[in-house]
Amino acid sequence: MQNSTTRCILGMVGTDVHSKGLKIIAQVLRDEGFEVIYAGDHHTVDSIVSAAIQEDADLIGLSFSSTAYVDYTLEIVKALHERNADDIAVMIGGQIHPDDHKILYDGGVGGVFGPGFKMPDLFAFVRECGARRRAVNA
Amino acid sequence: MNARTEVSEAQASEPRGEVVSLRPTEAPQPAKSHMGHIENLELKIKRTETNSGLETQAFYGPGDVKIDYERDLGDPGTYPYTRGGYPQMYRSRMWTLRNIVGYGAPEDTRDGWEKTLAAGGTGLDTVVDSLTQHATDPDHPAFYKEVGLEGVSLPTVRDVQILTKGIDPTKVDIAWHWAILSYPMAAAAAIRDGYDLAKLQGSNMPDYLKLNISGYSDLMPPEMGHKVLIDLLETTCLTSPKWASGFPQGYDYREAGATAHTELGVFFAIVIKTLEDLTARGKVTVDDIAPRLAWVSSSDIDFFEEIAKFRAMRRMWARIMKERFGAKDPRSMRLRVACHTSGRSLVYKQPLNNLARVAIESVAALLGGVQSLEACTYDEPVSVPTQEARELATRTQQIIAEEVGAARVADPLGGSWYIEALTDKVEAEAYKIMDQIEEQGGILKAITSGWVEGLVDKYNFELHKQLENKERIIIGLNDFVPDDDPPTRRFSFDRTNVEKHVRRFAELKQQRDNAVLNERIRTLYTTAKSGQNATWAMIDALLADGSIGEVWGTVRMAHGHSYDLFRAIETPFDLKGL
Repeated sequence: MQNSTTRCILGMVGTDVHSKGLKIIAQVLRDEGFEVIYAGDHHTVDSIVSAAIQEDADLIGLSFSSTAYVDYTLEIVKALHERNADDIAVMIGGQIHPDDHKILYDGGVGGVFGPGFKMPDLFAFVRECGARRRAVNA
Repeated sequence: MNARTEVSEAQASEPRGEVVSLRPTEAPQPAKSHMGHIENLELKIKRTETNSGLETQAFYGPGDVKIDYERDLGDPGTYPYTRGGYPQMYRSRMWTLRNIVGYGAPEDTRDGWEKTLAAGGTGLDTVVDSLTQHATDPDHPAFYKEVGLEGVSLPTVRDVQILTKGIDPTKVDIAWHWAILSYPMAAAAAIRDGYDLAKLQGSNMPDYLKLNISGYSDLMPPEMGHKVLIDLLETTCLTSPKWASGFPQGYDYREAGATAHTELGVFFAIVIKTLEDLTARGKVTVDDIAPRLAWVSSSDIDFFEEIAKFRAMRRMWARIMKERFGAKDPRSMRLRVACHTSGRSLVYKQPLNNLARVAIESVAALLGGVQSLEACTYDEPVSVPTQEARELATRTQQIIAEEVGAARVADPLGGSWYIEALTDKVEAEAYKIMDQIEEQGGILKAITSGWVEGLVDKYNFELHKQLENKERIIIGLNDFVPDDDPPTRRFSFDRTNVEKHVRRFAELKQQRDNAVLNERIRTLYTTAKSGQNATWAMIDALLADGSIGEVWGTVRMAHGHSYDLFRAIETPFDLKGL
């Protein structure tokens, strides 16, 4: 069934326990009308990618407080590519340092929502991800 | 496995043209003019509630407080210890000035310790990396990247020995910011180095139940956590009477979003349940255990509320120990508090503002009468502390000690009508939380059902809405957010030692006597499974060079859970027939 709203899966990878920000984002996105699957924390790269594919998500949203986010995120992008799931966009948030934006965007991350991001920008991005994926898969 | 190679391959792959990219391409905005608002520029008060949402009055007077000095306050060092644990407070003993140092391999953190002491720290303190916090080994297939990132990697007793080489743990107390297996590891290292456990000093943070309400997922199922903790406290108390167990540990739950009174309510419920079940066993009395505990708390940004919280905490503790548990020893009733200032109150943008925040939070803790203090570094939101930031955090405490006069008079705000009224109010709200927990069927049920963790979700969402519609202002977060803040310098360190450390770990697993270890693991499994106190069996397994992942995995299995929290590995040991 085709919904006209973005379906996004939110989760955390690794041993990072700082999940409160992501829980708020889950609620905020739901209130904005998006479909949110809250996959929770303590995922591996493999398990979050599998979940995203299984859930037919338009978008994976990852939150990081730990400093391994560049490695993890680019591994996730790579895993999506290897599993022919390039149409699933990736966005990340949390303690993302501006010095890392370039390597993230170059590595295929679609949206970086580090400290100071604006909610309307997030909503616009999430909306666009759903629209693009539906257009691609139509 | 080389994570770096995989990363460069990803970078070299095709750009993902179909998906949306938010790479910024905007032109810079012209500066705004404020001349239009010039008649309306004054700051207006936004909030009259405390940080935790308690309403306050415009002023307080004698009519607002009904205090019986002897019954409700007492002098400092006198029951119910509201005004402080000691008669002379900091005149007789200054608070311990600690800085957390923890990163990389044991050698790296040892180097950090040396530098910190050279810069004026007066206590040794470390935090373990998140893998070690999760009792997960550095060779776990999924998490190599995180070894040594946010703390020191300590998977075996030999690593503790490297970190503490030459330090006599019967003379120097090290604060271990670490829950699972921290005492067993310290004890095993002391045994190996030939020290008498009866004289062992140090502290840890073994509050296992709090792991369930601060984001640690299934790492510590509540029933298991409760049992293992009671075993641990019993063993620690009987074996190492000078060891201080940092229990309860309210810090992480506060940082996850709990209010001041919720911290008190939830953790008093945990303390009561733990001590009831511990003393019921008959080996340890309340007067054996209570003097050996210390409450680990935060100091958040609401200056007055935090002071009130510390005072209410001590009063509640004294009364509960005396009235509920029949404590006779004054040291059971006199609570010691270890404080780390709040990390979550700090702001990422314009981080130098955090120097002011941390200074105020530190003064609040001292006016609140804490026994040890770790001040956050200003770069806490950005990265693991840089050496420069750690030095400034030390200087903040030293300025407070030497210049501000915060140490010379005990409980200086005692008798303030506001502070006494607020102390009463925080205490009353805490008791309401305890009543709500009782209505749920007790603390284990309230944790297992998710109710306790749900409280912080609720509070966080309210805070989020308040920030979004500017009912509540946090400078640099939702007002005066700098557009052109230069990125803060991050802590970094050479990973060479970490790589050697991980190789050394792999070699140890080959070179140790695996037959002996297997026997110890089998003993640990049967002991834990039978419901006996398995703490010594854990120490014995560690002494046979068992790793934390192996030891804790075995304990988990004995309690009916998966060996590995992430279900990626199975036990390598032979447990046939058990």
